Amino acid sequence: MDGTQDSRGQRAVEKFVPKAERPPPMPVSGAIPWMRRNLFSTVVDSIVTIVVSGMLGVVIWNIVEWGIVDAVWTADNRRECMDQSMDGACWAGPALWFDNFIYGLYPETERWRVNLGAVVLALWLAPLFFARVTAKIPTAASVVLTYPLFASYLFYGGEKGIFWTAISALGLTMFIMALANAALELSGGRSIGKVMEDRFGLTSFRRKAIPVIVLWIAVAVVWSGVELEIVRTVKWGGLFVTLVISGIGITFALPAGIMLALGRRSRLPLIKYVCVVFIEVFRSVPLITVLFMATTMVPLFLPEGVTFDKLLRAIVAVCLFAAAYMAEVVRGGLQSVPKGQPEAAAALGLDYWRTTSLIVMPQALKLMIPNILSNFIGLFKDTTLVAIIGLFDLLGMVKAMSNDTNWIGLVDEPYLIAAFIYFCGCFAMSRYAKSLEQRLSTERR
Amino acid sequence: MKLKTTLLAVAALAVGAASGAQAQTKSTLEIVKERGYLNCQVGQPNPGFYSLDDKGQWSGHDVAFCRAVAAAIFGDPSKIEFQSVTSQVRFTSLANGESDMLSRTTTWTTTRDTQLGLDFTTVTFYDGQGFLVNKSMGITSAKQLNGASVCVLTGTTTELNLADYFRSQGMNFTPVTFEDVNVLVDTFLKGGCDAYTNDKSGLASRRSAFPTPGDYVILPETISKEPLGPVVREGDNQWGDIVRWSAFATIVAEELGINSGNVEEMRTTSKNPEIRRLLGVEGNLHTGLGLSNDWAYNIIKTVGNYGEIYEAFVGEKTPVNIPRAGSLNALWTNGGVLYAPPFR
Repeated sequence: MDGTQDSRGQRAVEKFVPKAERPPPMPVSGAIPWMRRNLFSTVVDSIVTIVVSGMLGVVIWNIVEWGIVDAVWTADNRRECMDQSMDGACWAGPALWFDNFIYGLYPETERWRVNLGAVVLALWLAPLFFARVTAKIPTAASVVLTYPLFASYLFYGGEKGIFWTAISALGLTMFIMALANAALELSGGRSIGKVMEDRFGLTSFRRKAIPVIVLWIAVAVVWSGVELEIVRTVKWGGLFVTLVISGIGITFALPAGIMLALGRRSRLPLIKYVCVVFIEVFRSVPLITVLFMATTMVPLFLPEGVTFDKLLRAIVAVCLFAAAYMAEVVRGGLQSVPKGQPEAAAALGLDYWRTTSLIVMPQALKLMIPNILSNFIGLFKDTTLVAIIGLFDLLGMVKAMSNDTNWIGLVDEPYLIAAFIYFCGCFAMSRYAKSLEQRLSTERR
Repeated sequence: MKLKTTLLAVAALAVGAASGAQAQTKSTLEIVKERGYLNCQVGQPNPGFYSLDDKGQWSGHDVAFCRAVAAAIFGDPSKIEFQSVTSQVRFTSLANGESDMLSRTTTWTTTRDTQLGLDFTTVTFYDGQGFLVNKSMGITSAKQLNGASVCVLTGTTTELNLADYFRSQGMNFTPVTFEDVNVLVDTFLKGGCDAYTNDKSGLASRRSAFPTPGDYVILPETISKEPLGPVVREGDNQWGDIVRWSAFATIVAEELGINSGNVEEMRTTSKNPEIRRLLGVEGNLHTGLGLSNDWAYNIIKTVGNYGEIYEAFVGEKTPVNIPRAGSLNALWTNGGVLYAPPFR
């Protein structure tokens, strides 16, 4: 044994000398390391990065220069815009026309009605986003079924007979009920039905029906005193009419599509073939043809002097078309549910409707969300076709602007605005569907 | 559920057909009066003739003649709704009763007048196809356009007239066709073609939006006749008369020096028998039309005479800027061809 040992025969402890510090590790997070890793990792990468960012910079600068630096913000017509700046955007025109893009030809003094309609819809839907509100399905159903009753009078106006008064008052009643219920649930945690039960001892169906009927009568009495000026649908336009058509189309398409898809899988030949024919006919013709048929053919079958509103015809056409497409999406979803599921439901003794609504549909619909959404987005954009049959939707108004005597030929700016509005609408829908998907995908959580 | 809908639809059609049989006897005037407003068909907005302004109102030269009819019937030019449809379905939409009349830069031709079940009433604007070129080309006549490339909208009579003209002159040309007028204008301005052809009114209105309108000139030749005017359905002559004489009233008013400003005064003070007949002070010109005796007065008071309409929408003070003096649209007394039969 060699090596130094002390008197007790143990190995001497060497004096501690720290090693030289190593350089710190490359930072792996943060902007600079990210850039180094992704943009400048090799010489070629670096060159490409510099060239591309240079080009991007020029493009962005040109856009900024055109859209902001050289742009004209106030002018009375296009000539004045040109006098101020030849190379800049002329935002003065779209600014003057912006209200028209939203409301179309709707008379200026009546535009508050459209705003009111939007506010009512937003308030009505708001309870759906609160976890504490339990009455989600009744609220959603009341919106879909009764909002159009109220809104159609609000937007159209004119004389309303007893029938119209009652129908539109029902819409208003359901709105008040939904809000009252939401307020009660948010503050005290009890729904209207529960309050009625506790306070008056009403039970089951009656606890809801009685307050609705009492309120309905009260609302109808007040409402009958209100008469709005008539605004015929030829005056509806802009984003408003785009939303009316696509909104009705979307709310109609899903339930109708589900019924058609179920019908197509039915074992009863009559139902099956009616559904098959309907779906195939509407899927085999372009939307524009359906719209043309609705606008030019239908009046030929009507007696002279009898007209059937053009907007209504377009809406019906869009609804039927959308339903046919939706039916096939739903059918795809239904086929993806394993056969064992309905069989198990049958083994439990569930009948057809329960099997469908409790077992098959929930699974199928969840899988279909991306497809349904693509359809909705498609429908939202397809409504631009109504411009061809003479309805002034958002795109129609944009085109009308470039033919206004004061703004002849001004196209880029209004089109950009329309594109932006469409993007916002479609992107919002897509985000909402994404959140819905995440919330519903319980098995993958 | 589906079956029920089908049955309902069939039933509705049957009921419709039954009531249609009795509705046939109603004249257009009766239908319009009952409805309370006039349905006038215009086209997709076209500057100067029918366009929307930033207040969402229809205005323009053709729109004014619709308003004149509304004023003649109701005494109020705002009792009107405008139907705007594409040019492909314009005649269908008139024939099927969706609109009562059509006033939308529609050229009067034999085929259209005789084969479509429609009647052209009169001419409210004489247009014609021409050429627009850059002054720097140094061209002063369409006859110098041999070998030129010409920008034209596709699928229109404009395209056919262009070919006819060059063939008849024994010249060659290269057509550059477009679907969209904005793209066409853009190409023309960037030098993509030597000349741009369209109706002269259209050339003038597009030129007004060029960066430098002064650099472009409309050549003097007019290569086609485009008489534009209101159209009605065939078979209701009284209705055709109302539309026709409403337009004539504006022309005669200009001839007689009556305008929206002095019509009130003229009605009470004028001694001229034709003015008195026109304004309903004497005679009974209104009875044949089925209107009240102040129908023409209402037109002039609320819409104006032809000159006022022209200057307000397409005249030299507007961006559309189509000079009237010396054109076909001047009164016959001023060297034009605008001429209305006497009110007698």
